[in-house]
Amino acid sequence: MKIRAITLNNVRRFTDPAQVTGIGDGINVLSEPNEHGKSTLFDAIQALFFKPFGSRDKEVSALRPHAGGAPEVTIEVETEAGRFALHKRWFQKPLATVHREGKLIAQADEAEAWIAQLLGGDAGGPSGLIWVRQGMTALTGGSTKEEKLALEARRDLMTSVGAEVEAMTGGRRMDKALAQCREELAQYATSTGRPRTGGPWKEAQDQVEALTATRDQLAATARALQDALAERQRARRALAELEAPEVVAERREKLEAARAAHAAATRHAEEMEALSRAVELARLNAESATSRLDSYRAGEAEQKAARRAEAAAREAAEAARAALSDRRATLEAAEAAAAEARTALKAAEDDHRHALRARAARDGADRRQALEARIKEAEDARRRMESAAAAAKSDPDAAALQRLERLSAELSASRAARDAAAPQVTVRYAPNQSGAIHGDDGPLADGTPLPLPRRTILRIDGIGELEVEPGAGGGKDGSVDAAATRLQTALDEIGAADLAQARAAGAARVEAAARQGEAKAVLASLAPDGIDALHQALAAIPAPEEVSGAPDLAQAEDALQTAQAAHERCRIARETAAEALADAKAEAAGKEAQLASLSDRLQRAEAQQAKLGDATEENLAAQTVTTAAALEAARLAHAEKAKDAPDAASLQAALTRAESVETQAREEIARLHPLLARLSERITRASGDAVEERLAETEDQLQAAEAALARIAHEVAVLSRLQEALQDARNEARERYFTPIVKELKPLLQLLWPDAELTWGEESLLPHALIREGREEPIEVLSGGTQEQVALLVRLAFARMLARAGRIAPVILDDALVFTDDDRIERMFDALHRQAGDMQIIVLTCRQRAFRALGGQALRLQAVVP
Amino acid sequence: MTFRFIHASDLHIGRKFANIPQAPDGNIRGRLMEARHGAIAKLAQAARGHGAAHVLLAGDTFDTATPSASVLRQALTAMGEAAEVTWWLLPGNHDNLRDAEPLWEVIARDAPPNLRALTENAPVEMAEGVSLLPCPVAFRAGASDPSAPLDRMHSPEGHMRIGLAHGGVTDFTDSEEAIAPDRDQRARLDYLALGDWHGRMAVSDRVHYCGTPEQDRFKHGRRGVCLAVEIAGPGARPKVEEAETGSFLWSEAEVTLHPRQDVAAALQALLPETGRRDHLLRVKAGGWASLPDRAALAQAAQACAPDFAHFELLTDGLGTQYEAADLDEIDRGGALRMAAETLVNEAQSETLPPSDRDVAADALARLHAYVQGART
Repeated sequence: MKIRAITLNNVRRFTDPAQVTGIGDGINVLSEPNEHGKSTLFDAIQALFFKPFGSRDKEVSALRPHAGGAPEVTIEVETEAGRFALHKRWFQKPLATVHREGKLIAQADEAEAWIAQLLGGDAGGPSGLIWVRQGMTALTGGSTKEEKLALEARRDLMTSVGAEVEAMTGGRRMDKALAQCREELAQYATSTGRPRTGGPWKEAQDQVEALTATRDQLAATARALQDALAERQRARRALAELEAPEVVAERREKLEAARAAHAAATRHAEEMEALSRAVELARLNAESATSRLDSYRAGEAEQKAARRAEAAAREAAEAARAALSDRRATLEAAEAAAAEARTALKAAEDDHRHALRARAARDGADRRQALEARIKEAEDARRRMESAAAAAKSDPDAAALQRLERLSAELSASRAARDAAAPQVTVRYAPNQSGAIHGDDGPLADGTPLPLPRRTILRIDGIGELEVEPGAGGGKDGSVDAAATRLQTALDEIGAADLAQARAAGAARVEAAARQGEAKAVLASLAPDGIDALHQALAAIPAPEEVSGAPDLAQAEDALQTAQAAHERCRIARETAAEALADAKAEAAGKEAQLASLSDRLQRAEAQQAKLGDATEENLAAQTVTTAAALEAARLAHAEKAKDAPDAASLQAALTRAESVETQAREEIARLHPLLARLSERITRASGDAVEERLAETEDQLQAAEAALARIAHEVAVLSRLQEALQDARNEARERYFTPIVKELKPLLQLLWPDAELTWGEESLLPHALIREGREEPIEVLSGGTQEQVALLVRLAFARMLARAGRIAPVILDDALVFTDDDRIERMFDALHRQAGDMQIIVLTCRQRAFRALGGQALRLQAVVP
Repeated sequence: MTFRFIHASDLHIGRKFANIPQAPDGNIRGRLMEARHGAIAKLAQAARGHGAAHVLLAGDTFDTATPSASVLRQALTAMGEAAEVTWWLLPGNHDNLRDAEPLWEVIARDAPPNLRALTENAPVEMAEGVSLLPCPVAFRAGASDPSAPLDRMHSPEGHMRIGLAHGGVTDFTDSEEAIAPDRDQRARLDYLALGDWHGRMAVSDRVHYCGTPEQDRFKHGRRGVCLAVEIAGPGARPKVEEAETGSFLWSEAEVTLHPRQDVAAALQALLPETGRRDHLLRVKAGGWASLPDRAALAQAAQACAPDFAHFELLTDGLGTQYEAADLDEIDRGGALRMAAETLVNEAQSETLPPSDRDVAADALARLHAYVQGART
């Protein structure tokens, strides 16, 4: 179906017939400002298609003009069957008719049925119209009935393209199965698949855990009981073995035997010990006898030797004493000679000193004279230097002179300036009258101009005085006086009467400075270290001494040398003699000491022999033989005893072992008795607790609990698997169901958002979220512009699906793009044109400027020309 | 000289059956436990019935090495009360000499006079001209034939020799620690009374397992018995007669299903008409069943279970046959059908591990049950 013309009469402000004609295929745009009746047109179209002619409801009433009357709408449509005019009138004389080419083919209810058929299409097909009302951004909206109709339309469309949604997704049965599955699963598990607290799964797990713990504990107790039983058996056996009478008796016998053997061995050892001591005693006796004999013999020999040595020493001592007295005499002689030589040497030395002093006195007088002269010269130079220095200081220096010269030049300059400015008189004397006129400075020179800077009196000889007054402006600046004063002051400062004197004084100063330099150089050469140094040098020269009768120095020196040599010889002789004496003394002392010691030795030897008393060598020798025999006898006895000695160490070991066996047995018995008591107590307690019985029971319970847990785990797995299978199947079915519309929509969406997708609501058959760049945004939270764009695109896609099904439906857009910005509008226009093709799109808009770019067929709503 | 006695073993008094599921308000465990104690009276009665003055218990009289005091005391008292019978107790592996030493000490100390504990490997003259040759078990797990000492046990010339031992025979385990089946010949026994095997079995004319007088497992399929033995004299062939003592019947039944069978009826056909209260029944289902059949089988089992002392249905061996019609019952198309097909593929996959296949199969069965529930 395509709409070709619309005529309104008595609809709101159109009290006169108005119409839109020439509605073509593709895009048609009715672009008018507000209040020009676009919405009226939209409502009228809707009323014609959806309001029965008998309706008086709110919406139909809203179509009536203020003045009242019966609204009439006529729409011409073109279908495959031809061109029809549909006409409806409400309120007065309500009417519905369908004409084909001016021929009435249906009216009243039949006409309504015809229209419904047109809208519904064939075989319960989709609604023929796709509407987008002004400002309706949401996909849903309008009255409940409209929504329901729209849903039905969508459902019909989708189903006709694909399959029944319920059939696809399983619908209520699927929901119920899934709900039941989830409910059953929720009894066992949380949403994350963990056992739910308080649920049977968790309970079964807990029970298995608890029973396992109990089982382990009971098993441990049972094991402990079995161990205790085994240990008690071992202990009993051990005790029985230890306490058996024959075992006890055997142990005791062994111990006794070991003790007896050990005692015998001890006794034998004691006897051995006594024999050992006897042997030792005999050995001592024998040794003592031998040693006495030896010492007797040694004493005799010593006595003889000592006597011989003492005699020899005595002779040597005598000889040494004689030698000593000889040496002493020799020394005395040497000392006398030495004293003599010393006297002679002293005399020679005195003479020599005397001669030396005399010569020194001569040398000192000459040096003194020279030095005194030099001091005088130096002092003279110093005086000169000092006077020149004083002169150099008093006179003006070069700087002062320079200043004077400058001041003088300034004075001259001032004067010249003044005179140049002052009136001048020049005298030209008559003959012989030269010098007849006198100024302040004497007679005026002829022809020489005399400036007169101030009042001046010229005395003219013989005539009187001529007073000249230069008048105002002359000589009053005072600069000459000032310069003169400055010069005079400077001169006064240096005490000079005038410049010439000052210059002379300056020259004198220069000259004095030169003199000072010279004197200073002389002084420096004469006394480089200062005059005081010269005075000191002078003072160092010994005072002259009167020397008389001094011997000749050379002779004195010879005599001194001779005396010295003699003295040296005597001194050496004396020292040699002294040394010889000392040696002799030492020799003598040594001999004396030797003699003394040998005398002592002799005395000792004699005393030693005396101690032996009347023992003789013969009876001492006899004793030696006797004691040696006794020793041999003792040794033999000891060896005899040692031959049959028992092994004391091994007997001791045997005894120790026997004792320890007994001790161990006793200790073991002492340990085993309480151990047995403890074990028995433990066994009684555990067996009284019926631990094995409870263990058996617990094991059975655990087995049952584990089986229950396995069953439940299986059940959970089954339910989880079922839930997953159901969800997967439903999602897949849903996807499959929405494939056709998604396919239509995809190129449209991509005009605006590349790679964008929509997800679809199974109930509403409308998109519920936009997926852009992987993010899912529910439609409700999108901006108004985006929402209306999505809404429009979705409708276009539906229309496209209709068109593909061969049922073209006009898409009527009443200011559908309110929130869309200019850039998007361009792209929406692209979408519209893309869809237009063999479809019909009627755009109603007040945005004339924005929609100018849309192009398409322009429509006008205008009065019908009668 | 005819000698009569009762041969019994494996009373396992004190066994608690904690592995048998018990409804919160049920007491099957208590009843089972009580039945074990009741075996004493049954044995005494059997002895009286057969004119026997002796009851030989071939081991495992008690379930554990340390039974609780009441279990032990009440057992001893019950034996004491059967005063006309002499009870001969042999330690078995459960009440072996080492682990159960305290038990045997208590018995030695407190037992009634008509009870004799056989804790020594030594012949006992139990009646005039009759030597009892006991082989008490020393440890829970022995490493040798427990009946081996019988060969070396001497008895007075002309005595009847009756061996008493506890353990398996070679026929079953083929190992060194088993009892030689020809022990009677090797040890010149007139009769060898064996314990340990809970089912009744005659190894040879002279060698017998009596089984437990009160069953405790499904495999034997009959109530427990004891043996009334009569021996005319040394060398005479013993006359062995079974006397039923068990109060509970433990049994196992198998049913092989095939698709499109009335599974409830098949199950019903297996069930006994009477005695269900004292019957512990395990049904093993095999063969193939469709999804609805499985559900029906489970429902039928659930329905009959309360009749029994214990009822369990094992479906490990039952394969599921997925038919298009079953899947159609879930849905003919759409997501439910997709889910169902995914699960069928997984359940029949040859690459997935069996556990995953089981999970998928059960998930499918569950889905089927959901959809069926939703439909009804």
